[in-house]
Amino acid sequence: MDETTAKIKAFIVEEFMPDVPVEDLDDDYDLLTGGVVDSLGLLKVVAWLEDEFDIGVDDSELGPDSFRTVAAIKAYVDQARDGAHAE
Amino acid sequence: MSQTTTRSIADHFADQVERQPDAQALLWEGEPISYAELKGLADSAYSEIESARLPDDRPVGIRAKKSPEAIALILASLRAGKSFLLPSIELAPETLAALFAQAGVSQVLSPHGPRSESAASLRALVDEARAAPETSDSEWPPVGGGGDVTFMLTTSGSTGLPKIVPLTAAGVDAFTDWAAAQFEIKPGTVVANYAPLNFDLCLLDIWTTLKHGGCVAMVDQDRATQGAYLADLVNDNQVNVLQAVPMLYRLLIDVNREDGRTFPSVRHVITTGDKIPPSSLAELPTLFPNARFYNVYGCTETNDSLIHEFLGLADGNVPTNIPVGQPIPGVIARVQTDDGSALEGTGTGEFMVWTPFQTRGYLKSSLNEGKFVMLEDDGGRTYYKSGDIVRRHDDGTLTLEGRADFYVKVRGVRVSTQVVEQAIQEHPAVIEVAVIAVPDELAGARLHATVRREADAKLNSLQLRQHCATRLARTEMPSTIQIVTEPLPKTSTGKVDRKAVAAELERSRANG
Repeated sequence: MDETTAKIKAFIVEEFMPDVPVEDLDDDYDLLTGGVVDSLGLLKVVAWLEDEFDIGVDDSELGPDSFRTVAAIKAYVDQARDGAHAE
Repeated sequence: MSQTTTRSIADHFADQVERQPDAQALLWEGEPISYAELKGLADSAYSEIESARLPDDRPVGIRAKKSPEAIALILASLRAGKSFLLPSIELAPETLAALFAQAGVSQVLSPHGPRSESAASLRALVDEARAAPETSDSEWPPVGGGGDVTFMLTTSGSTGLPKIVPLTAAGVDAFTDWAAAQFEIKPGTVVANYAPLNFDLCLLDIWTTLKHGGCVAMVDQDRATQGAYLADLVNDNQVNVLQAVPMLYRLLIDVNREDGRTFPSVRHVITTGDKIPPSSLAELPTLFPNARFYNVYGCTETNDSLIHEFLGLADGNVPTNIPVGQPIPGVIARVQTDDGSALEGTGTGEFMVWTPFQTRGYLKSSLNEGKFVMLEDDGGRTYYKSGDIVRRHDDGTLTLEGRADFYVKVRGVRVSTQVVEQAIQEHPAVIEVAVIAVPDELAGARLHATVRREADAKLNSLQLRQHCATRLARTEMPSTIQIVTEPLPKTSTGKVDRKAVAAELERSRANG
């Protein structure tokens, strides 16, 4: 598991389901359908991403699909960092 | 047009005695009691009431366990034109006394005569209750007058004093005529009576039957949970109509599994009072090969209001969500949405109803607010708010979604915590669960579930969410799930105490 994915999982588990071992959370588990992260939880996730990875999240990008799974969040983070480098 | 009077059932009974004195009116402990014999019992009770010279403008109380003498006493009270309060005999003496005092009864009658010991001890209690300041005010007569009130039944009263529900002669008359026509109750028909004497169900089992010349096969209250006894009662007496809560059918199914017994004499099988599990429903055609099957829905305040006939049960056509049914002819049903308008088409809302059988309101008129409501948009008709949330389907049938008390708004969507609890409960490792709504500034409310799992199970919140994902809508999914292994707090009646769970959650949050 790469470092970004591990960090995301650790955050999700600690914040939303502290009783669950990190290794039980699959990369493609649907966090929204599962009710782990709701619209309010999403704001927490975004705030943490901005802080942790030093990226800006545009409000217009706050569609649920970008944050539906750990894999999607990682992809978003990777893309945001690439964008930052390209500048 | 026939005129209805307060003596309707008594008059009809007198007609039946004249028409068929030797026909069986009751079957009790294996012995038949003819219409003439029941009249004899009723006549002697009537003389006792008359000789007691009770005041005309006050009701009486009846404290009676089910027996032919008790039925005779009620017939005598009806003949004497007396309103009577008939509470459960299971109630604590203090509760009984408070109810009798509230109804302003002049006398408490029991089948063993007004001079019996039990009646004397009750009288003392009633006097005591009347003397107590908090119950000294009788609520009699009810709003709208007491002149045409016959039966006064009580609600089950899960909290506080049971509510007294006065029924008018016209309401009882209309109901008993509907029931007789719907279930073909006439001379020669044998109707089983499973419910205790004070239940509204007896208006069908006992009073419809005696009014229309049939025979009541009475179940002894002390043996109501003995399957073999019940099976014998149905078959030995060739019962044609059976109305009962799902438990009776469960007991008969067990008998059938044991000795293969079936009940071919039964033509109408009615389930009521509770949702019958589909697994029980599926077995009914085996037990009752010649019957039609119904669910009826009602309450003491309105009597039966909806009926559903199960068609094709024998061909495996068993609904998973039992329909409560369609309005009985003359009944006006309304599904009320949150904004107070009537639901058109499909959807959910609170079930409100007007029936030709309903009470004018509780005896204690202060209880009527919010339960009996007059709707201006419906010609000023007074509806009863059932507190049940129902769903109306494409074909007009209604299914029960839960109690209104358990509904909360999550992000603007109405969610039943009962539905969520049921879904969680279906996980094999879950012992018990409480779902509560936590007030939330943004969402209105968020759901929290405290779940007790089997101590040796490895269930965690993620697995539980996966389990729920196929059963619940997004808005129904709890925001937070706490898994514990200790028992959840319980109420005095042994149910999970959601308020205590909520208080505990509040405390743990406050402590960080």
